[in-house]
Amino acid sequence: MKVFIVPPNSLILYDLVERFGHQPLSVMGELREKVTQREMEAPPLNVTQKDVMKGLKYAGIEVPSGVRGRLAIWGPMIDEAEAAIIMHDTPFTFGCVGCHRTNLMLMYLIRKKKIPTIEVDYPHDEEEGKIMVNKVKCFLEGLK
Amino acid sequence: MIAPTSELTPDQLTRFIHQLGYGLTIKETCYGANIEGPKDLVAKAVPEIRRLDPNRIFIKVRAYPIGDERRCRAHHGSRPGFNQMEKEWKDLPLIEAGLVAAEAGEACPTKPARRQLPIKRLLEIAQEEMK
Repeated sequence: MKVFIVPPNSLILYDLVERFGHQPLSVMGELREKVTQREMEAPPLNVTQKDVMKGLKYAGIEVPSGVRGRLAIWGPMIDEAEAAIIMHDTPFTFGCVGCHRTNLMLMYLIRKKKIPTIEVDYPHDEEEGKIMVNKVKCFLEGLK
Repeated sequence: MIAPTSELTPDQLTRFIHQLGYGLTIKETCYGANIEGPKDLVAKAVPEIRRLDPNRIFIKVRAYPIGDERRCRAHHGSRPGFNQMEKEWKDLPLIEAGLVAAEAGEACPTKPARRQLPIKRLLEIAQEEMK
């Protein structure tokens, strides 16, 4: 099954989803297609007109362009997703996913879609690590 | 990416991937290795690489190709994903403990969610320290 991960660039979630036999939908995989296309090889213009139009499907025109730009990438992935794993307590410096408003919108879109979803927290110690992995494993094994 | 608790070095990992003989492009990095090649060959290589140290090697897709001028340090590329890599690299031993427990079938009872320390309790601690 295609499993959407939040944060969408998480190494831990990507590995766990693949390890337990599902296909992770991540921002890295999506961007790989984009950054290797000829059209995208002209920084800083790394957003095409089509992307802007895609973003409008998920957020109104009055929403900041950064949110719409991110949703242009993540929105179609949520449409494609059959399940989702959300990991809370992400540091705000988390690379390209450091926009809190987009993250709120992302969670809203996932919950609205009503697909099987699990919400866990980043572990702080070994005990929490065990609980988190156990929850994710049970969730992924239960997806058929 | 190799977990900090692993005894494997990026050099050993890179040599092992070379020895697989799939003809993949490999780049040794300070935290593990990047591999690149046809999808079917990469899919074949991934389980074999993971078998080397199953609970301490973590794998994900990378958006930018190896040596891409926009990201590669040799070309002074920017590294916006570095904070994420650093944070998760530190957390890998905790995930490893989870994977070991899951393999052993260990029961992991949930515990109440973390809460912020109430100000009253903070005051009490401060007063105890002052005595």
